[in-house]
Amino acid sequence: MECRVLSVQSHVVRGYVGNKSATFPLQVLGFEVDSINSVQFSNHTGYAHWKGQVLTADELNVLYEGIKLNNVNHYDYVLTGYTRDTSFLETVVDIVQELKRLNPKLVYVCDPVMGDQGSMYVPENILPVYRDKVVAVADILTPNQFEAELLTGRKISTEKDALEVMDLLHQMGPDMVVLTSTDLISPHGDQFLVALGSQKMVRADGTTSTQKIRMEMPKVDAVFVGTGDLFAAMLLAWTHHHPKDLKAACEKTVSVLHHVIKRTITYANKMAGPGKRPSPAQLELRMVQSKKDIEYPAIVVEAIVL
Amino acid sequence: MECRVLSIQSHVVRGYVGNKSATFPLQVLGFEVDSINSVQFSNHTGYAHWKGQVLTAEELNVLYEGIKLNNVNHYDYILTGYTRDTSFLETVVDIVQELKRLNPKLVYVCDPVMGDQGSMYVPENILPVYRDQVVAVADILTPNQFEAELLTGRTISTEKDALDVMELLHQMGPDTVVLTSTDLTSPHGDQFLVALGSQKMVRTDGSKSTQKIRIEMPKVDAVFVGTGDLFTAMLLAWSHHHPNDLKAACEKTVSVLHHVIKRTITYANEILQVCKPSFISGLGGWSQTIPQVKKLDVEVLSWRGYTWSAVVRLVGRTAKFSKTTEAAYEMAGPGKRPNPAQLELRMVQSKKDIEDPDIVVEATIL
Repeated sequence: MECRVLSVQSHVVRGYVGNKSATFPLQVLGFEVDSINSVQFSNHTGYAHWKGQVLTADELNVLYEGIKLNNVNHYDYVLTGYTRDTSFLETVVDIVQELKRLNPKLVYVCDPVMGDQGSMYVPENILPVYRDKVVAVADILTPNQFEAELLTGRKISTEKDALEVMDLLHQMGPDMVVLTSTDLISPHGDQFLVALGSQKMVRADGTTSTQKIRMEMPKVDAVFVGTGDLFAAMLLAWTHHHPKDLKAACEKTVSVLHHVIKRTITYANKMAGPGKRPSPAQLELRMVQSKKDIEYPAIVVEAIVL
Repeated sequence: MECRVLSIQSHVVRGYVGNKSATFPLQVLGFEVDSINSVQFSNHTGYAHWKGQVLTAEELNVLYEGIKLNNVNHYDYILTGYTRDTSFLETVVDIVQELKRLNPKLVYVCDPVMGDQGSMYVPENILPVYRDQVVAVADILTPNQFEAELLTGRTISTEKDALDVMELLHQMGPDTVVLTSTDLTSPHGDQFLVALGSQKMVRTDGSKSTQKIRIEMPKVDAVFVGTGDLFTAMLLAWSHHHPNDLKAACEKTVSVLHHVIKRTITYANEILQVCKPSFISGLGGWSQTIPQVKKLDVEVLSWRGYTWSAVVRLVGRTAKFSKTTEAAYEMAGPGKRPNPAQLELRMVQSKKDIEDPDIVVEATIL
């Protein structure tokens, strides 16, 4: 398999977020990963302390320029996640557009990270850049419910609302949208999280069809950082292998997340001791220990085709 | 296995040098790798162009400070390689010393990258920092012959010289020294590279012993950038699993390098076969002995440099054409020759060889 991904995300010295979360799993699955580190921090910002440096939009341009001058600006995928800087994000859009001119088949996998549970954790002026520029060039979009609401200006209270919002997002750009988490009530009870997916496809006869799916995942009583980045990276990998089967791609992706999270909770609780809440350091994803699950995920979830 | 490595090396967006070369193989072998990127460049400096940013000593301190404030500055290994900045290197030494105070069992694996084949490719003022400060805190040192000569002030002409130099290096600090390549003549001929290793150990009864080994590897000319970084990372991994068996650790390390390089050459070869050479000039008067030759079938054994000259085996009509020699090619047409981009190590493709290397070399105990 000769498949090259350009991933523009954070780097942390310790732990698994951003490029640290995405790169190893993709490499283990045989993807060539070129990574531009948008920041270099000691660790993610959920620890008591964090320190480091950020890459400016200019510096991003300089790095891309180096790749371009050597004529190696040829990618099959672009992957982006958490970004705080509007000019940085705009530069990313320029790069994606140029890369798409060079390879019209390029797939841009975009996690429009802006916030969760009704509150934004990036500057508010990032929203218009995602909404008006980024989403238009995205091919696969992985917003959570809050981000999907922000991008479309619509509220989601029912599954029908969610399906309509995904259709709106299709019209804005991406042929594939996965609502990675919602507040929707699961038929299985409140220990389950509902995720939804929608993929527009063109049939052999030229007509379009949309496959919509729902998945329910057991809720986990802990805050993990980096799982969204892992999700987007694994969705890239498994849609590459199942380009017309969102159900299969999502089942594998969610299964990988399940195994990694399960291993992480077990370890974290062991390290923290009985009755104690694990620290952010102890809750870092057990990524290298999960290599086999990443390579050959046992499927533990079934997506329902709606 | 719960083993955490702090690796302070370069990051390149594309390709496999520095942290890009070291991290994936170590992770695949189950090590937790914390990585501080000393630079971020688009690609390594052997390409026609390269661009990017460097980390200052101050910024390195800031990153370490973040780790320290969170009380997670606990490591089993540190790994460093190519560094051009003396204050950066001195800051690394401070960090190593502090980490060793916190964990006296910490092993510092140091590749004292300074140059090769008699010439330095870092600023000269890096040498005293390595010689007077870094080597003293190193536990495993992987110099090539030139770097070992620089560090000890001695010249190596014979195997005995090399063994003496490794002894001197032991006295300066590291209990394990591997001369990753030398100019020494191999009994097997000039297509073979001689590497040597020496490990000081303390027996259970308290007495000391030193295991010395020699390994011979088919020459590949160190043209592939990042192989030294991969070597040092894999020596860390395999000496972790074989802490008192330098022979085993080196055999596995060299075997991994062999598989990765072979896969990389094969890939570059495939690219070469796509474009037929149109003209060959050889060394030692070959072009005179084969006057009509415009095109020959070749098997590429390795690449030299970032141009398109290669060590080849000519698959020709008579016996005198089957000798391995060095020939320079001119390729038909622009953009049709393997370039540094196409010669990047086939790292992710070599995952299984990294996990479970077939042993292809035998080290001799001296």
